[in-house]
Amino acid sequence: MDLEESYDVERTVDFIRGRGFWKVALQFPDELLKDAVGVVRSLRRRLSSSGCAHGRGGGDDVKLFIMADTTYGSCCIDEVAAQHVCADCVVHYGHTCLSPPATLPAYFVLGKAPLNKANCANSLLSCAASSEKPVLVLYGLEYAYAMTDVERATSGSMAKFSHFLCSSLDPLETVDVAGGTTGDGDIRTKMGNRYIIGGLVWTLPEGQKMEDYLLYWIGSSNAAFQNVVLTFNGCDIVRYDATEDCVVSDFSQQRRILKRRYFLVEKAKDANIVGILVGTLGVAGYLHMINQMKELVRRAGKKVYTLAMGRPNAAKLANFPECDVFIYVSCAQTALLDSKEFLAPVITPFEAMLAFTRGSEWTGEYVMEFRDLINSLPDEVKHHPESEEARFSFLKGGYVEDRHPSGDADDENDRALALASTTQKALQLHDTVPNSLAKSTTAKSSAEYFAARSYRGLDVNSHSSSPEAFTVGRSGRAAGYDDEKH
Amino acid sequence: MVKFTAEELRKIMDLKNNIRNMSVIAHVDHGKSTLTDSLVAAAGIIAQEVAGDVRMTDTRADEAERGITIKSTGISLYYEMTEESLKNYKGERRGNEYLINLIDSPGHVDFSSEVTAALRITDGALVVVDCVEGVCVQTETVLRQALGERIRPVLTVNKMDRCFLELQVDGEEAYQTFQRVIENANVIMATYEDPLLGDVQVYPEKGTVAFSAGLHGWAFTLTNFAKMYASKFGVDESKMMERLWGENFFDPATKKWTSKNTGTATCKRGFVQFCYEPIKQIINTCMNDQKDKLWPMLQKLGVTMKSDEKDLMGKALMKRVMQTWLPASTALLEMMVFHLPSPAKAQKYRVENLYEGPMDDQYATAIRNCDPEGPLMLYVSKMIPASDKGRFYAFGRVFSGKVSTGLKVRIMGPNYVPGEKKDLYVKSVQRTVIWMGKKQETVEDVPCGNTVAMVGLDQFITKNATLTNEKEVDAHPIRAMKFSVSPVVRVAVQCKVASDLPKLVEGLKRLAKSDPMVVCTIEESGEHIIAGAGELHLEICLKDLQEDFMGGAEIIKSDPVVSFRETVLEKSCRVVMSKSPNKHNRLYMEARPMEEGLAEAIDDGRIGPRDDPKVRSKLLSEEFGWDKDLAKKIWCFGPETTGPNMVVDMCKGVQYLNEIKDSVVAGFQWASKEGALAEENMRGICFEVCDVVLHADAIHRGGGQVIPTARRVIYASQLTAKPRLLEPVYLVEIQAPEQALGGIYSVLNQKRGHVFEEMQRPGTPLYNIKAYLPVIESFGFSSTLRAATSGQAFPQSVFDHWDMMSSDPLESGSQAAQLVADIRKRKGLKEQMTPLSEYEDKL
Repeated sequence: MDLEESYDVERTVDFIRGRGFWKVALQFPDELLKDAVGVVRSLRRRLSSSGCAHGRGGGDDVKLFIMADTTYGSCCIDEVAAQHVCADCVVHYGHTCLSPPATLPAYFVLGKAPLNKANCANSLLSCAASSEKPVLVLYGLEYAYAMTDVERATSGSMAKFSHFLCSSLDPLETVDVAGGTTGDGDIRTKMGNRYIIGGLVWTLPEGQKMEDYLLYWIGSSNAAFQNVVLTFNGCDIVRYDATEDCVVSDFSQQRRILKRRYFLVEKAKDANIVGILVGTLGVAGYLHMINQMKELVRRAGKKVYTLAMGRPNAAKLANFPECDVFIYVSCAQTALLDSKEFLAPVITPFEAMLAFTRGSEWTGEYVMEFRDLINSLPDEVKHHPESEEARFSFLKGGYVEDRHPSGDADDENDRALALASTTQKALQLHDTVPNSLAKSTTAKSSAEYFAARSYRGLDVNSHSSSPEAFTVGRSGRAAGYDDEKH
Repeated sequence: MVKFTAEELRKIMDLKNNIRNMSVIAHVDHGKSTLTDSLVAAAGIIAQEVAGDVRMTDTRADEAERGITIKSTGISLYYEMTEESLKNYKGERRGNEYLINLIDSPGHVDFSSEVTAALRITDGALVVVDCVEGVCVQTETVLRQALGERIRPVLTVNKMDRCFLELQVDGEEAYQTFQRVIENANVIMATYEDPLLGDVQVYPEKGTVAFSAGLHGWAFTLTNFAKMYASKFGVDESKMMERLWGENFFDPATKKWTSKNTGTATCKRGFVQFCYEPIKQIINTCMNDQKDKLWPMLQKLGVTMKSDEKDLMGKALMKRVMQTWLPASTALLEMMVFHLPSPAKAQKYRVENLYEGPMDDQYATAIRNCDPEGPLMLYVSKMIPASDKGRFYAFGRVFSGKVSTGLKVRIMGPNYVPGEKKDLYVKSVQRTVIWMGKKQETVEDVPCGNTVAMVGLDQFITKNATLTNEKEVDAHPIRAMKFSVSPVVRVAVQCKVASDLPKLVEGLKRLAKSDPMVVCTIEESGEHIIAGAGELHLEICLKDLQEDFMGGAEIIKSDPVVSFRETVLEKSCRVVMSKSPNKHNRLYMEARPMEEGLAEAIDDGRIGPRDDPKVRSKLLSEEFGWDKDLAKKIWCFGPETTGPNMVVDMCKGVQYLNEIKDSVVAGFQWASKEGALAEENMRGICFEVCDVVLHADAIHRGGGQVIPTARRVIYASQLTAKPRLLEPVYLVEIQAPEQALGGIYSVLNQKRGHVFEEMQRPGTPLYNIKAYLPVIESFGFSSTLRAATSGQAFPQSVFDHWDMMSSDPLESGSQAAQLVADIRKRKGLKEQMTPLSEYEDKL
């Protein structure tokens, strides 16, 4: 496949010209960066020729910028970077989560991964024949180009399975969703019988549930697939792997992930200090969500801090050891961050809702898109008599206290002075037991945590005011300083 | 025909000198519950005729079915002593009415946490010993526990009926057996003697030993017989009692007492002559239906039978006659009233064991004086499921003050720290209840010295708590109970239908409450775990969970799982180094095994983070040979800041070291919780920080750089120090006749167990075997053993220690490597261990 075809250059140009954009940012993920120059070159060529057709002079009038090394997940539109060059629109290449951008219009070039259509269709037919449930086909967007062919090839069997639904998605349709929508709930995963997930749209007949279907996924086991598996965790799922040309139906790993998430929720319930990680600056409604999360955590009587650190990694998170749990507000496909390397768990807004809402129970339902959660903050006035029960922590195996019997205002006041009072206490202790190993009890705020540390910055009690003697520092590279090479 | 009412009971509750709180403790199957029945019968709750058959305190269906007690059950008994019988009582009393709060506890070792909970709220213990089997393992365990809590014991030699009916032993032989039983018990009691409690040994001649036949409902102390004979011999009762035990012989021919057997045919030991033989005679007469002989004999003893009872035959007749002549309740209750302390007396010396705060504050004083007008101090020792599903009574003992319906109380949980708000609630008691066997009676209030059950607090107490009045903000809690067993056996449970998860969660919460020992947690993998003391314990827990707490929803349980520990065998073969993510900081570390006994000392809390550093360094240098200065350089313990591993600073003159200490500690807490082998807790490893190279700029040596690096270097040093797995090991005690020994040995061999003690029980054909058995091999051990010995051997297993597995987990194909792979698989980790090269960096 040549560059022009696989990168959809022609339609991209139509999009740019058709909407009259003058500054266009081209966003490439790392793995496609090598083609960026070629793509730009051919876009230029096309633009200049189409520019003539439109009666304008030359192709130089449209400015193209290449964006790489995306701040957050490369599946989302990096609007902030695009705004640096005051771009009118973004053309996104490669794998995408198709999350609606907040401000800029975007055009998605999905790419075309090779697919053996005949084999794919055959395996789908045999799968449909062996299944008692009707089959619903979902696929990775990189295979979207081939779906009409596959649908046609399996149409012979379709008559037998009246519920067979091919994806009714036309990805180009959603492109125009960009811009206007600001998270008013237009694009929820489920609206009546219409479902949207990761750019795929379908409608179920009246009275049927997702659980009634066998999901057939064409594509690799990537974030988009995981998103589908977790969102529809009640469904049976079969995956056709296009690169290996085989069918995979063992998803114990995915089920395991779900259980693991359950554990993280339980762990989050015990948290005192919560960090909200800003995982996107582009997905529509992110700001609303962050505020909603803040409100949620505050209502649960916990301390919350908002942190913007780009894509989180172990070292970055460990810079905030006082946080017991992090909530990661990002697009659905980058939402699941789990690593043994993290000091504290990272959970999704949905999990945070479960963890910090009293009396909420997890029944297996799972929501990845934070847009589905917007405005679903439970009313505080709703006061169950049961909710008076102390909270049982499964990590500690007993009741742990969440809410103080005294009023919240009083508490808030307490906390403001926490640093002052704890340092005071610490100073008093300092004299009696200078080398106490006993950590004070769990901190309720960052200030308390800081007060409990053994090192708190410069030692004001240091008596020597004379300057240190001048010494020669280390030289060489971090990988091995000169004095370390024996 | 209930003989007493709740009002009567409530009245005596105020008379703190007339209360006895006691628990019945013994080895499994020595007859606690049956004997308890006899006492309850006297209080008029169940009919005298069926006493011995009902097991009043076994309130659960499965208890009745299995014939063992699973939960401890409390009963309040009202008992009126006659003026006559109280004339020798020297202690304080008011009136003749007594209230006996009695707690029947299980004998099986798996449920010994129930015993612990029972002991906490009682002041005295009735130790029941089977006269044939003698003092057994569990007898010793519970006695040790009782004395640890400063509980005064009295003894009853039970199952006397076996001597007469089953074994038909003659008097002298029986005496020797009883004597040995009592001696054995006394040896144990002497070992754990406590100066404040005084002499706790028991003596038949002092009336602190009873002889009973729980099944037949009769019992006696030497007091009974002494009374009978004192007038006849013209001596006072105490003199007579001395003659009825020990080396005192009587020859009816010469009518003389001697201190040696004169050798004549008629000369017999006092006990045999005056106690054993008459009973034997009566029993034999009854069993042979020689009624013509029987009535005159009974008349002589002053026993009158009802006319309808005279028609009874054989065993029934014998039972009835004995119950009338020597009613168990009279003998035992008298013994309790006379020799067990009242709360007023007991709390004087128990306060030190109970109260955590200073001994001179108002709470300590109120407990010491058992002051009903003082501040409320109440310890909730267990939660009892109520009949309405899902709710629990909080059951405990009032040590001072009064608890009443509607009272607002401060609930201090086990993690409460005075002055802080953690684990603290203020709630109202909805109802105060006293327990009368299978039914409960509501009372207005309950004063100190009594046991009580409370409604309305169950949503704030997991297992136990200290309650005070709302305003008593400076009260310290009552010390937490120390259990003799630990929850080492675990199963993972999940519900069959995913949507039942909320039911499971609720069920586990209730299960955690209903049992003092069981621990319900969640694993990193998201599995719900139930941990218990043993197989039987878990079996009961799972049954409760499914049937009672989840309304029959189906659950799937995994095979029992044992948790392991990770340790090291030697000092690291080299100093290992890890670099921070930015490569600018380096940590150098070594791991070494702790000195023997140090990990246990940390477990026991003898050494811990809260010690005074001077005391700690003294202890470490004297007991474990540490350098005094080094002992002052301990950075922390872990996991959970108290675990049996530590980090020691061995650096010399490192700049900014104090700055990264917190980060290294955080990394260590994390790493010691999840070791490098299979993410099990570490145990007995000392990590030494040898050197540190830090970036000169503070921003580049923050927590983000140091915490992950500390974790990696700890793993690297663990892996270079010959890592090993520790497995939990049970101490198993088995009692069996000689012919069963072969079977026992072969089963033990097959299960990797080894016998370290074999002893014949003096005077019996029974052997006592002590062995170590890996917990992982213990599943199905009881049944295998029973099968191999045709049911003659009965094992009792209790967690004893951690044992190092000799095989190298890093050597592929070894047993330990296999175990590691299994654990990793279960936890959903990569089956291959992360190699050392991932943790250690090179320059």
